[in-house]
Amino acid sequence: MVGNYFKIGYRVLLRQKSYTLLNITGLAIGIAVFTFIFLYIQSEIRYDRQWSGHENIYRVTSEYNVDGKIEKLALTPFRLVDDFRQEFPEVEYSTNMFFTDPSDINDVSSVTYKDEVFEIPDITLSGQNFFKIFDYRFIEGSPDSTLSKANTMVISSSIAKEIFGNETAIGKKLSTVVREYTVVGVFEKKCRPTHHNFDAIVSVSSIEKKGFDRLKKDWYWLTCYTYIKLQNEVNIEDFAFKFNEYANNARANSSREENLNIDGYFTNNFEPVSDVHFNTELQYDSPTNIDVTYLYIFGIIAAFILLTASINYINLATARSLKRAKEIGIRKVMGAFKRQLIFQYISESLILTFISFILAMSLVEFLMPQFNQLVGKDLTLVGSIFSGEGIFFGIILFLMILVLALVGGSFPAYILTSFNPASVLKGNYFISSRFGKQQFSAGLIRRFLVTVQYVVSIGMIISTFIIYAQMDFLKSHDLGFEEDNIVVINTPHDSTFKQRFNKFLKTLDKDNSVSGVTSAHNVPGYTAGKMLFYIGDTSEQNIQTLNFYGIGYNYFELLKAPLIQGRYFSCSPSDDTLSSYIINEAAVEFLNLDTVIGTSINIAYEDKLEGGKIVGVVKNFNFSSLHKDVEPLVFLLNPRQSRYVLVKYKDNAEEAAMQHINKVWKKFNEGSFLHYTLLETKLESLYHGDKKMLSLFIYFSVFVIFISSLGLYGLSSFLIQHRTKEIGIRRILGGSEKQIMMMLAMVYLRIVLFAGIIASVIVYFLMSNWLDTFAYHITINGWYFVAGILITFLISTGTVLIRSFKVVHESPSVSLNYAG
Amino acid sequence: MIETFELTKTFKAEDIETIALRNVSLKVEKGDFLAIMGPSGCGKTTLLNILGMIDNITSGSYSFFGQDVSRMSEKQKTELRKRNIGFVFQNFNLIEELTVYENIELPLQYLGVKRKERKKRVEDIISRMKISHRKNLFPVQLSGGQQQRVAVARAVISNPSLLLADEPTGNLDSMHGEEVMTMLNELNKSGTTIIMVTHSRRDASYSRRIVHLFDGQIINENLNKMV
Repeated sequence: MVGNYFKIGYRVLLRQKSYTLLNITGLAIGIAVFTFIFLYIQSEIRYDRQWSGHENIYRVTSEYNVDGKIEKLALTPFRLVDDFRQEFPEVEYSTNMFFTDPSDINDVSSVTYKDEVFEIPDITLSGQNFFKIFDYRFIEGSPDSTLSKANTMVISSSIAKEIFGNETAIGKKLSTVVREYTVVGVFEKKCRPTHHNFDAIVSVSSIEKKGFDRLKKDWYWLTCYTYIKLQNEVNIEDFAFKFNEYANNARANSSREENLNIDGYFTNNFEPVSDVHFNTELQYDSPTNIDVTYLYIFGIIAAFILLTASINYINLATARSLKRAKEIGIRKVMGAFKRQLIFQYISESLILTFISFILAMSLVEFLMPQFNQLVGKDLTLVGSIFSGEGIFFGIILFLMILVLALVGGSFPAYILTSFNPASVLKGNYFISSRFGKQQFSAGLIRRFLVTVQYVVSIGMIISTFIIYAQMDFLKSHDLGFEEDNIVVINTPHDSTFKQRFNKFLKTLDKDNSVSGVTSAHNVPGYTAGKMLFYIGDTSEQNIQTLNFYGIGYNYFELLKAPLIQGRYFSCSPSDDTLSSYIINEAAVEFLNLDTVIGTSINIAYEDKLEGGKIVGVVKNFNFSSLHKDVEPLVFLLNPRQSRYVLVKYKDNAEEAAMQHINKVWKKFNEGSFLHYTLLETKLESLYHGDKKMLSLFIYFSVFVIFISSLGLYGLSSFLIQHRTKEIGIRRILGGSEKQIMMMLAMVYLRIVLFAGIIASVIVYFLMSNWLDTFAYHITINGWYFVAGILITFLISTGTVLIRSFKVVHESPSVSLNYAG
Repeated sequence: MIETFELTKTFKAEDIETIALRNVSLKVEKGDFLAIMGPSGCGKTTLLNILGMIDNITSGSYSFFGQDVSRMSEKQKTELRKRNIGFVFQNFNLIEELTVYENIELPLQYLGVKRKERKKRVEDIISRMKISHRKNLFPVQLSGGQQQRVAVARAVISNPSLLLADEPTGNLDSMHGEEVMTMLNELNKSGTTIIMVTHSRRDASYSRRIVHLFDGQIINENLNKMV
C-alpha cells in the first residue's frame, strides 16, 4: 500500500505538470537561498569556537573613560601577560600578540631565503604560550616548544610551501632587514575559523632589549592583543573584579612614580574569545569582525524566504487539493480510512519536498563559487553540512525539510478528509465544525498567508531602496578633502630607505603626470594612531589620549584640506618636525581651549618629552568611516617615519603616472615589491561590509519577489479556474474583458495596500536603527515606501492579468461549459 | 437485509433548510432488484447515499443486516461498507491517476487482501468483463461504456452483498447502456442485491420492484410487471 501511495503521488505530480513545476521551482529556490544564508551564518558563528577549552579563553580589552566619554580598544599594555602569570594562579596561560595594522593589506614583510626575496603578508610577534591557548594544527614542529627562544619564527603551511617547496622548513633560516630567524614550526592557518589573521609569528623575545624593557613596565602604551586561558570553574566576573583592583592600584603607583596626572580611568574587560568576531565597538580590532545584528537580520530573512516558499507550497497544495476532493470522496466510498488518506497526501508532499530538496542542493553546489565571491569566503556544501563538524547542522536542515513536508501535506489532508463523501461527490465542499459549517473556498487562511508574503516582499524592496540610497550618499558625500587621483604607496620595510627617502620623493615629483607628492605615517581610511598628549603649560597640564596622524610636508596641500586658523607645516624659517602641531576643529572643541594657536602640546616620544605648539587648525575632514563622526585629531610633522608616500596625478594621466612610479620605484628600491592602492579605492573599502549587505539584500529581494510571484501565479490560476463559470456569465451579461480583468486584479490591491502599511512600519523602525549606526546618513524618504508598494502591486496584478487573459478572452460558452 | 423506518434527511445551508427525504420507510430483501424512480430533486440519490452509508440520516432509523447504522461511528460504517456494498455512479467516478487494473484493485487494497490474491481476483474479473486488453490504460483513454464496465468491475470485485447504482446508464448510449444493464441483471441472478436509481423506464424494466419517490416521500411501490 505504501508503495502505491508513492506511485500515485508521482503520477499526480506528472499529470499536473505546471503546478508541480511551480511548486518545485519555488520551493527549491526557497530552500537553496535558505541554505546559502544558513551556511553563511554557520561559518560566522563558528569563529573561535573550535579551540580546545574555548569556554575558558578570553581576550582582554581596554576601556578608557574621561568625563563620561568612553573609548574602547582591543589593545592592552604588553606587561599584562607577566602580571597574569605572576599574580593570578587562576590563569592557566597568558599570551599576547602584537598589533599589526589590519586595515592595510599592502603592509607586507619581506624575508630572504637563499638570496631570494619572499613576501609574508602578516607577520606578528607573540609570546611562547600562544599555541598552548590556540591549538593550531602543526604540520612540522610542536606547538609546545615554539616561540620560547628569541629569533625564532613559526610560519603557515602555505608560506612554507612557497618558500621551501617540499623541503622541511624546520631549522631553516629566514632573514628580514632587522635580523635572521630560525623556523621552528609550520602551522595550518585555516584549520579553524578565527579572528586571527597572521601568516607568521616571531617570538616576542626577539625584540631588542631597550624597547622590551620599556614595554614590560608601561601601563599606558597599548601595543598588543592579550589572551588568557583560565583554569576550569573560575568565575569570570569575580576574576575581572579582582584583576581591575590590582591593575588600578598598580597604575596609580606607576603614575605617582612617573609624576603623571592622567584624567579619566582605565578598565580592562574580559571578552570570551567566541565573542571577539562579533565585536565591532573596539578600535584597532580586526576589520573582518561583523555586527551580530546582521546575522540576526540574515537569519530572519532566511526564515522569511523559507516561510514564503512554504506558504506558496501550502497555498498551492490546498487550492489544488480541492480539485482532488472528488477522488477523496471515491476513496472514502471504496473504504479508505482517514489515516490512509492522510498518509497518501503526506507521501505526495514528501515526494515534492524531496525533489525540491535535491534540486535545491544541486543549485547550491552549482552556485557556490559565485556565492563565495559575493561573501568573500571559501565555503563548500559538503564541507559545511555533510562533514563530521557540520553533521549536526545538516540534520537540522534535513529535519526542517521533513517538517515542511509533513505540514504541507497534512494541512490539505486533514481538511479534505473531513469532508462528507456524499457532499464531495456532489461537489459541495463543506466541513463541519463545532462552530457551524464553513465554506472552505472562502480562503481566509490563504489570504492571510499571501498577506504575510507581501509584507516580506514589500519590506525587502523598501529596505533595498534605503540601503542603496545610503550607499550612494556615502559615495558622494564630501569628505572634506580631495581623494581623487591619489596613489598611496607603501614604503619598503628597509632600514636604509630613510637615507634615500628625500631623493625618492623628489624624483617622484619630477614628472608631467604628477601634480604633487607627500608622505605620511597615517592616511585617511587607514588606522589612526593614539597617543598621550600633554596639553597646555606645565602648571595646568591636561593629559589626553588623542588620535594622531604623523605626516610629511605638503600633506594638507595635496589633499586640499582647508586651513581655518594659523598655518600649515613648513621647513622654513625653522623645521616644524616634532615641534609644531596642527589640530582639527573637533580637537579644538574637545580640548575646550581659550586660545588655540600657540598652545603648548607635549608628547611622550622615545623616553623624552617632545615639546611643541599648535600652529594651525584645519577644517574637519572624515579620515575614517562615515559610520563615525569626525573625532579629534592631532597632526604632527615627522616625514622620516612615513609608512606611505602619496602621489597625486593629473586628470587622465593615471597610466603615465603609474609607469613613472614603477620606474622610480625600481630605481630606488630594487628587490622590494611595489605595493600601492588608490586612495578612493581604500576609502570605498571602508564600506565593504555595508556594500556586501546591499548586494545580499538585492539578491534576497529578487528571490522573495520571484517566489511570491510564482506562488501568486499558481494561486490565481486556481482562483480563476474556480470562477470561470462566473466570468462566462459576466461576459454574457455585458461585462467587458477589461472590466473583468480589473475585477480579478483588484482583489490583490487591498491585500497589497494592507501588507504595505505593515511592512512600512516595520521597515521604518529597522532601517532607522541601521541608519543610526552611521554618523552621516540620509533621511528616510516617504517615496521609498510608495515605490515599494507600487512595484509589488504592479508585479502582482501583472501576474494575475497574464494568467487571466486567456480565460477572460475565451468564448463565454466555453466558460459556462467548463466543468472545473 | 435493509430496513429503514421513518427515515428523514434534512440539509441546512445557513438559514435555509431543505428536507430531502421525509419519513421514508423501506424494506429490501436479500436478492432483490429494486429501482428507485422519480423526478429530478425528489431525493433518489440522497436515499441511495444513505443506504450506501456515505451520508447520514437526520432522524429515523436504518438497519443493515439487523445492525442499526445510525448509531455507528464513521469507522464502523466504513468497515461495513467496504465489506458489503459496491457502488456504480452515473459519471463512473474512476480515479484518473490509476490504470484500469489499479482502479478495480482499489477496494481489495482497502480490504487488506494480499497482493497475490488481489491479482488473481482482478485478472479474473477483467477477463469476465472483457477488458483485459485495456488493463494498463488510464480512464481518460477509455470510452464511456468501457469506463462504466470498469466501474462495475470495481464495484463487484469485493463480492459485495449489495450493489448500489446511481443512474448507471445516464452517460451512455443505448448500446452500452444495454450492456451495463445486462451485467447488472446477471449479477442479481447470481445473488447480489441491487438498488438502482434511474430515470429510464427501460433500465427500470430490469428490476423486480420499483419505488416511486416524489418530494422526498415514497408515493408508490409496485412489482415490475415485466419480470
